[in-house]
Amino acid sequence: MISRRVALAAAALSVALAGAAHGQAPSGKVTVVTSFSKEVTDPFKAAFEKAFPGTTLEVQNRNTNAGVKFIEETKSNNGVDLFWASAPDAFEVLKAKGLLEAYKPKADGIPDKIGHFPINDPQGFYSGFAASGYGIMWNDRYVKANKLPEPKEWEDLATAPYFDHVSMAAPSRSGTTHLTIEAILQSAGWEKGWGIVKAFSGNLRGVTERSFGVPDAVNSGQVGYGIVIDFFGFSAQGAGFPVKFVYPSLSTIVPANIGVVKNAPNAAGAKAFVDFILSEPGQAILFDPKIRRLPVRTASYAKAPAGLPNPFEFKWLADPKSKFDVEKSEKRFAAVDALYDQLVTFQHEALKAATKAIHDADAAIARKPSPEASRLVAEARALVARMPVSEAEAASPEMAAAFTGGKEKGPRQAELEQKWAAYAKENYAAALAKAQAAQQAAK
Amino acid sequence: MTALLQPVGIDVEGVDLAFGATQVLRNVSLSVHPGEFFAFLGPSGCGKTTLLRLIAGFNVAQKGRVLIGGRDVTALPPWRRDVGMVFQSYALWPHMSVARNVAFGLEERRLPRSEVAGRVDEALDLVGLRHLKDRKPSQLSGGQQQRVALARTIAVRPQVLLLDEPLSNLDAKMRVEVRRELRELQQRLKLTTIFVTHDQEEANTICDRIAVMSEGIVQQVGAPMDLYDRPANLFVAGFLGTANFLEEGGRKVMVRPQNVQLGAEAATGAFMISGAIVHREFQGATMRYVLETERGPLIVDEPYDPGRSPYAVGSQVNAAIRPERLVAVA
Amino acid sequence: MSGSAFPVQGAGRGIASPGLALLALLIGLFLAAFLVIPVVTVIFVAFQPKGSTGFTLINFVDFFSTDLFRRSFWNSAYVSLMSVVIASLLALPLAYYTTRFEFRGAALVQTLGVIPLIMPPFAGAVAMQLLFGRNGTVNLLLDDWFGFKVPFMEGLNGVIFVEAVHYFPFILVNLSTSLRNIDRAMEEAAQNLGCSGFRLFRRIVFPLAMPGYVAGASLVFIKVFDDLATPLLLNVKDMLAPQAYLRITSVGLADPMGYVISVVLIVASLLAMWLSTLALRGKDYATVQRGGGGTVKRPLRGIDRVLAYGAITVVLVLVLAPHVGLFLLSIATIWSFAPLPDGYTAAHYARVLSESGQYITNTLIYAGLAGLIDVVIGSAIAYLVLRTGMPAGRWLDYVATAALAVPGVVLGIGFLRTYFGVTLPSGQSLAAFWGMIVLALAIRRLPYALRACMAAMQQISVSLEEAAQNLGATRSRTVRRIVMPLMLSGVAAGFVTSFATAAVELSATMMLVQTQSDAPLAYGLYVFMQSPAGRGAGAALGVIAVVIVGLSTYVSNRLVERDMAARSEAKE
Repeated sequence: MISRRVALAAAALSVALAGAAHGQAPSGKVTVVTSFSKEVTDPFKAAFEKAFPGTTLEVQNRNTNAGVKFIEETKSNNGVDLFWASAPDAFEVLKAKGLLEAYKPKADGIPDKIGHFPINDPQGFYSGFAASGYGIMWNDRYVKANKLPEPKEWEDLATAPYFDHVSMAAPSRSGTTHLTIEAILQSAGWEKGWGIVKAFSGNLRGVTERSFGVPDAVNSGQVGYGIVIDFFGFSAQGAGFPVKFVYPSLSTIVPANIGVVKNAPNAAGAKAFVDFILSEPGQAILFDPKIRRLPVRTASYAKAPAGLPNPFEFKWLADPKSKFDVEKSEKRFAAVDALYDQLVTFQHEALKAATKAIHDADAAIARKPSPEASRLVAEARALVARMPVSEAEAASPEMAAAFTGGKEKGPRQAELEQKWAAYAKENYAAALAKAQAAQQAAK
Repeated sequence: MTALLQPVGIDVEGVDLAFGATQVLRNVSLSVHPGEFFAFLGPSGCGKTTLLRLIAGFNVAQKGRVLIGGRDVTALPPWRRDVGMVFQSYALWPHMSVARNVAFGLEERRLPRSEVAGRVDEALDLVGLRHLKDRKPSQLSGGQQQRVALARTIAVRPQVLLLDEPLSNLDAKMRVEVRRELRELQQRLKLTTIFVTHDQEEANTICDRIAVMSEGIVQQVGAPMDLYDRPANLFVAGFLGTANFLEEGGRKVMVRPQNVQLGAEAATGAFMISGAIVHREFQGATMRYVLETERGPLIVDEPYDPGRSPYAVGSQVNAAIRPERLVAVA
Repeated sequence: MSGSAFPVQGAGRGIASPGLALLALLIGLFLAAFLVIPVVTVIFVAFQPKGSTGFTLINFVDFFSTDLFRRSFWNSAYVSLMSVVIASLLALPLAYYTTRFEFRGAALVQTLGVIPLIMPPFAGAVAMQLLFGRNGTVNLLLDDWFGFKVPFMEGLNGVIFVEAVHYFPFILVNLSTSLRNIDRAMEEAAQNLGCSGFRLFRRIVFPLAMPGYVAGASLVFIKVFDDLATPLLLNVKDMLAPQAYLRITSVGLADPMGYVISVVLIVASLLAMWLSTLALRGKDYATVQRGGGGTVKRPLRGIDRVLAYGAITVVLVLVLAPHVGLFLLSIATIWSFAPLPDGYTAAHYARVLSESGQYITNTLIYAGLAGLIDVVIGSAIAYLVLRTGMPAGRWLDYVATAALAVPGVVLGIGFLRTYFGVTLPSGQSLAAFWGMIVLALAIRRLPYALRACMAAMQQISVSLEEAAQNLGATRSRTVRRIVMPLMLSGVAAGFVTSFATAAVELSATMMLVQTQSDAPLAYGLYVFMQSPAGRGAGAALGVIAVVIVGLSTYVSNRLVERDMAARSEAKE
């Protein structure tokens, strides 16, 4: 509480000075559409209104999808000044539809990139204000009660002990999950990457539809482990839940963003707010125990609370394997989502059955080794990992057109989806049969 | 109906019944003889329907008991009493055909299907509606509905039959017709029957005996003529026909209008009053005069004689009443 | 009578007076403006080739040639049917015992029975998981004591369980109303002929209560068919409504399948509604004595008494468990992987009460107004359908009922698309006016009130109206003096279901709320439930919602009971 009050006081002081220096103080109502919770928005609102007397920050909470739709539907008579959310893809959509206005914030001490990922939109339509990394969160009580291990890497989650204990949001529903999958695909390569993704996905208890559904389930102990964005873990700890969080050695750090909406009724106020949250006092608010996000302003880490990492010091960010090709990601964005949904989310029972059989076969082989069984299990794994689409096909313009309604002639989305689903179903059934055969062979 | 049951009697003993704070029946006791056509007669709110529902088992008394054929049924639920009841609203189930309605009670008694069909036809024949057996109740006239309700009740051959104002929803001509049919049917079946009505004419014409009720109390039980001629109290006297009440020797006496003679000379022993005619009504068979006397108003009915000119309004007349026609009332 | 889906009863059938035509026209305009046009502006893409204009049915071909959608369709149908079965088993004893017997606390039981309908979004789901989830209270204890767990909340059966608990009040409320409206002589005549107990219920009571039961059961079927929140909560995605939702709300994709599924949902709902009217077709349910009758409650004795109280206790414990969980969550410090919370605190309530007073007032105003609009329009449509035989009436019924199948998010987007460009004199957009939230809620909940009003009117004998008209009352005065008073309990039931469910509705609201000061409670709840620290506060707000709606329901149940009691006394 003390740190928050200090932060607010500091914010009030320094921004008041900054405002005076600029000569034209913003005023009136600044309307922001955001997916962030009250815990995040309330301190910013209080500090901003204090720093700029005469302004009010009107917060409209909407989930990311609803926010994007809202801005899109109301553009004829726009009343929104700012869009403020985590997922970079949502900003990409708004940008592509010409619903954002370019603005270069007056901020210093913010590097261009975190690791290989640019903090701000290169064209300046939106700016990163906090860094978020993906990792694994777990419920300590759950893990101890079930005598389960503590994970370190993504691959750990694919091993037998984790079967049916893990949860993750669908990449099509969560921009950050999407980027995590994409990061794995880019660092491990298309085929191998999907192998990893499908291997741990076979261990999932369920693929949730809401990002927040994952930390919720871990917090209440309905599942043991969750693949989540870091602040879900940190803020749950801050709220007192018995949870732990770890960054795997190959993760991705992506910025959460803010952008000025096109034809903003209070553009001056909107820009002032962007400047404010990127300023030193604004960035300090991120350390609030109920927010716990990582500032993009490197100097801010000098005052970071104990236990909160400094992502700029992560060694793996310098690892060439964690290099992130934004353009490649863009091209196959929809295809990756749809592939995951068709191969995993909507075929989850079949995938789980095959995965379970593979775990059982492994256990049988460990008790009684058999080359024949090992061969069959390897074949089963390969069947699970098989992809209906090559990397090049996934990034092709025809593929993109199938999803976004572009001009290129190609198969329709529904046709592709049906084909992929059938492919996955067949391969998982075959994998199940092989794994069961392997169990027999190792008997 | 082939096999006739041995008729049974109904006894009500010392029944008190209240709905919340409202006392509806007060220490009611009466006996209905086997095979009798019995009426509960009284104005609305007198407790007659409540008493009927008590016998059927729909109301529960705070005190007292009910016996049917000597068997104490006080603690039995309605469905164990074997008492047939025809509801004022008929209560025909709208989702069932006429035949299904009539078959209902037989099915409840787990009779074989063939026997059910036979008895449904038999019961409908009794009321002359066999040809309408496939209709729905909403497609019948009021009189037809009434007969179906009756057929439904007698089809199960109950020990006793209870009729709750069965004629009240029928037109006047229908009413006379149906009440005769009811009487005939009852005679044929020798079925102990209780008939609830507020209409004294109905009760008088078809019932063997009547219990006159008022304010939850059975005022008097008797054959129609006994009640008419010798009412036990003012209420009964007034409720059954027109009555004149006079003060005579410090007690209250009643005389029926037809038992008063006008224009007579003073006869020995006769009770004489004189007064002025204030009102005259021609009623067909009789001529009714209303006299203003020193003892109050007096109603007199004289047989209508076309050969004689009636008294004019305003004329002074003498009225004579024979002492044996004076009935003391409480 | 048999030619139309509804038996048109009585006075002036087929006569369309100018006044009635105007009424039908006004309702038609209302539905067109706030349901048909907004929805069509959104779902017409179902009939367009992707990325271009023109008309095509290829998307529907795709729908039927995709395994996932076919599987989803059958799963939805199966879950909906089974939910109706389970919900009926839960609702029947509650409705029967409380309306037919001298039952202590009948109004309380009726109220508690409606509470499951008021399941606050998100908070209710979390509470449910904490009790019945794989590691919820029940399963942790079972595992501890007996070494096994019961998968209450898993797979399609889990969906059936949660849906039945959640929506059985639709059957309870409508069935209870029907039961109250049956003339007591109908049952007494059967008892008199030797019928009692369950046979009496099966042969007489239940068939006569069919209009209410069918109204409730068809609502449950359609509601479950169209519900997306529960399957998604349980991670079941291969059902139709979740598929529609997932596709409509995916960012940046021009996927027509979401809208195709919406069309399929709407058609399927109308089909179900049509089948339910077929089931009642050509049958007469009016009980003549309705004007004076009323029911007499029988005493419960001995073993029956024990059984009745036992059955009702079991049902209530089961269906109210989520709310007990919600309450525990609202006073819990931390509740994680444990049968009960670690500790208790009042801090969440303090926080919510200091921050959310406006939400509560707004909710009462919005849901109250929406409920009123619904019963007025619902009664009017019921009158047009059942008493005038105007074909327009039936169409209005179908259109209003279709609202049940329109996903909230589709309606919300439709409202924005249709009305955002319209500016009020104040310069504010019409879509930003709080009244639009009321209208959206009214449209979403209209089918509930409509079914209740329909059932209530079906049970009023036309002769009662004819009597009034015969005595010189005009059609409108007959409605006001005879029909409305007799429909009172049905209308109250409709109001309660509309009001209670509107109070916790979020999906359309989410699109339309544009300032904090206009936001209703469900929105506040959503805001709280997005962070771990807001979980307790969200639950507290949820409890407040349940209490407020519960109290309103209780008051309206008491009013109905008093009305019924007054009528029975008049008869005696």
